[in-house]
Amino acid sequence: MNIENIVEKFTSVIISHKIKTITLAIVLVLLATSGVRFLETPAGYRSFVENDQQNYQDILNIEEKYGTIDTLTFVIKPKSGEIFQKNVLKVIDELTELSWKAPYSSRVSSLTNYQYTTVDGDDINISDFISDIDSLTDNELLDLKNLALKEKNVVNFILSKSSKVSFVNITLDVPIGIDFIEPIAFAEEQKKLFNEKNPDIFVTVAGSARFSQNFQETAQSDATNMYPAFLVLIIILSYILLRSVSASLLSLIVIFLSILPSMGSAGWLEYQVLPPLIIAPIIILTIALAHAIHILSIALSNMNEGMQKDKAIIESMKINFMPVFLTSFTTAVGVAGVNFGNIPAFSQMANAVVFGAAYSFVLSVTVLPALFMMMPIKSDGKNNIILPALHALGNFIFKFKYYVITFISLITIYLISLIPTLYFDDDFDAYFDRVDDWVEVKNIVNDEFGSSFFIFANMDSGEVDGITDPNYLKKLDDFASWLESQDEVVTVATVADVIKTLNKNMNEGLEEFYSIPDNKSLNAQYFLMYEFSVPYGMDLKDQMTANKSESRLLIRLNNFTSIQSRDFHQRTKEWIKNNLGSYQSDGIVGIPVMFPYVYQENTNGLLRGLIFSFGIIIVVIGITLRSIRFGLISVVPNVVPFVLAYGVLSLFTKIVTFSHTVAILIAIGLVVDATIHFLTKFKKANVMNLSSYDAIQYCYKYVGYPIIVASVCLFCGFLFLLQSSFQTNYVLGGMCALIILLALIIDLLLLPSLLLIFGNKSK
Amino acid sequence: MKIYSFLFILILTFNFSSFAETDEEIGLKIAKEAYESTRGYIDSTSEQLMILIDPKGNEVIREISGKNLENMDPDDGDKSLIFFNKPKDVEGTVMLSHTHVNDDDDQWLYLPALGRVKRISSSNKSGAFMGSEISFEDFSGLDYRKYDWKYLGEENYEGEVCYKLESYPKYENSGYTKRIGLTDELLRARKIEYYDRKGDLLKTIYFEDHKLYNDAIWFADTFRVVNHQNDNSTIYKWENRQLNIGLNKKDFEKSSLMRLAD
Repeated sequence: MNIENIVEKFTSVIISHKIKTITLAIVLVLLATSGVRFLETPAGYRSFVENDQQNYQDILNIEEKYGTIDTLTFVIKPKSGEIFQKNVLKVIDELTELSWKAPYSSRVSSLTNYQYTTVDGDDINISDFISDIDSLTDNELLDLKNLALKEKNVVNFILSKSSKVSFVNITLDVPIGIDFIEPIAFAEEQKKLFNEKNPDIFVTVAGSARFSQNFQETAQSDATNMYPAFLVLIIILSYILLRSVSASLLSLIVIFLSILPSMGSAGWLEYQVLPPLIIAPIIILTIALAHAIHILSIALSNMNEGMQKDKAIIESMKINFMPVFLTSFTTAVGVAGVNFGNIPAFSQMANAVVFGAAYSFVLSVTVLPALFMMMPIKSDGKNNIILPALHALGNFIFKFKYYVITFISLITIYLISLIPTLYFDDDFDAYFDRVDDWVEVKNIVNDEFGSSFFIFANMDSGEVDGITDPNYLKKLDDFASWLESQDEVVTVATVADVIKTLNKNMNEGLEEFYSIPDNKSLNAQYFLMYEFSVPYGMDLKDQMTANKSESRLLIRLNNFTSIQSRDFHQRTKEWIKNNLGSYQSDGIVGIPVMFPYVYQENTNGLLRGLIFSFGIIIVVIGITLRSIRFGLISVVPNVVPFVLAYGVLSLFTKIVTFSHTVAILIAIGLVVDATIHFLTKFKKANVMNLSSYDAIQYCYKYVGYPIIVASVCLFCGFLFLLQSSFQTNYVLGGMCALIILLALIIDLLLLPSLLLIFGNKSK
Repeated sequence: MKIYSFLFILILTFNFSSFAETDEEIGLKIAKEAYESTRGYIDSTSEQLMILIDPKGNEVIREISGKNLENMDPDDGDKSLIFFNKPKDVEGTVMLSHTHVNDDDDQWLYLPALGRVKRISSSNKSGAFMGSEISFEDFSGLDYRKYDWKYLGEENYEGEVCYKLESYPKYENSGYTKRIGLTDELLRARKIEYYDRKGDLLKTIYFEDHKLYNDAIWFADTFRVVNHQNDNSTIYKWENRQLNIGLNKKDFEKSSLMRLAD
């Protein structure tokens, strides 16, 4: 049983039944591809979390009690001066009215519709804070500003402290599974109209729905911006490497036949089109391109040496079948490790790549040779210019092997020493820092309000109508004060504030009554009164449960990183445990709380995935090489590129995000692959009893060129991802490109040096 | 009397078509007739039970009792007293309302825990009533004068032919953009769909358990409110409703609330 014989027979059969092979392949490809129609449009950030994730459960819990947490916000900023100018207030008023018409809107809060209470003895008047804007005098405008800045639920919620920016907040009640396209389209349309109509007032759109929509929009813009340019790059690349138009065309055909069914399979599995999935075709494309170039370049050079076309492709297949299989296999195994993480979007991307690896292997050994026979392929007859260079490199390595090892070791040790400065962190708010519109929003909002995100906390009294109990309200107020004393928090709103305001208003507006009454019935009666005096969408249903056993704290956050967020979450839990007594709270809840935990759990999962993938790959290397010595030697070139890459990373940043971890899993199969090729050839040279010098030159001659070609394809492919507007995509691309580049250097310099010293068992 | 008014309506309906009035005019006529068919109660007392039901089926109970006084001045609204009984913490709270047709309502509230009467003026009462799916606006919305009307035709509902009427609130602070209601041939409202400010269906009130009081006036003793957007519902029941029992008009003045505070 010789693999080469099997491959020879297999390929002969393929090329003698080329029409049947191609027809069958195309039918199967089309069948798989037809699944594309089932690809789903994503539901924003919710697609980034698994349903059973604890912090996501906390969010669902809060939403079940108080309605959905998603908001859409109009940000209004006059280009000069403050909010309290007639034309600015009029814009706010108009936007407020319009906001009620936003699809799925359930509440709207703004400066104009804020329910403001004025007191005249026993007469209580509750009305919109600002009305009849045309008739306001300058003094009245100033009064309004001073009053607004005294309202706890206005400042930092709908008006910035500086009075320079104001929000119109829309609460969206979008059913889970439906995206924000409609409300966002509505808001963007209004934004455009208002900016045209009012050149001196800047209006833009923010809020968690807008953030969420970025996922979808960057997926779209990545696809439309990157794919066409990437196609051009690949055409150029394959022509440079093959120097034959028809061979390039052939590789393009095989590449497309590999990508289409991969995305189709993703569709059959009802995957969502999120930014990570957008990069799957690019990774598949690079793998398929590398396969095609391996096979075609050898076939073409065989033809240059005078072989018949069929003989040339069969001989090429004999050399390339196993390497192509191994690349596909190790890539698939490496990438499959991403499934150990807990972000569905990344697992889906990884699985699409796994499909791609499988399809590209099958097509490369069937359709590729069949088509090769059918197309008029000629080589230009020029000799490969890289081969003499590789020969010279072989001479250099033979002479300076110890220097090479010493030099690379020193660099590696230096870079290793930097790695401990790295730490895992993430800033989900930086995801879309390349989306201009979003950055514009973020800058304004973060400067004036701390951040555009709210978080929440629930506090359960444990009994029906328990929240009117003065003890509960005081504890709630303590909780809010403690939260406000934390660096991460800008401001907090609770029903305790509502009670304090009511108590003041019911006592002739005297400041000394801005406190929580010691009378449960009175508190209950205040709530009762408040609730039937306010308009539609202004009630307290989003702050307390119908049976008044629980209430919700609304917290405006400062911007912070994952580590701070988790620390804040823990600190809050600790405070709750020590201070809340019999009252129950799950602590802080919300998107900025959830993401850091998702990352942490994901990173832990990915590290487990790495162990899984690496374990399997080591077994594969062992089986392929059937040698412990080579197995041990292979560890060096397989591990060093990653160590170096993280070392290089630490020269630029201290923060390792989970994308950096995903990069290891994607790259590992590709890196391992090159070393396997090199070691197999070296072993073969040993069997042929070549001297160590000749053995190394043999390796350079037969695998040096394919390794360079594959690495160049992969490097360019990954480098290309740097163009993505989604942070994790470009981090992933940059990191993978770096690893591939370093692996190429190690494979060409360090591995041969090591083999020269340790590789020859006969001596 | 009932039969006469029924016949009268039949004739009216017949006339609607024969005189080719506009749909708006027909709608207004039916709404007006329907409203007028509930007049003449003089005064009334009742106990009211509210059951708030969340999407998971959890229930919360509210109990109030009410007194109403008909205003014979056709240009002004009725007066009402609401006594809050349950939850226990609000027991003893009383609200007095003087509704007006063309003006904001007057409202006084006696809070026993505060021991004071407060006059509450707010131009907008479209919010939830005691956390339910019903609002003050829905009660005052039974007065045809607060809406513009349009007759949409006939529709079968639970085996009966009903007039389908569309109405649009005249006042700008309404929580709704329109309502579509079915009124049966006895001029009883059977259901009304409410559309929110973005024009989406918000909720439906089903009027059930119609009873003929004093052989003259139909009242629905159950309002079943279903919110289609948040899946909450409210069942609002009237019990022990009594009409024309000779209530003291003075009870419906601010001074009677003030006496409670003394």
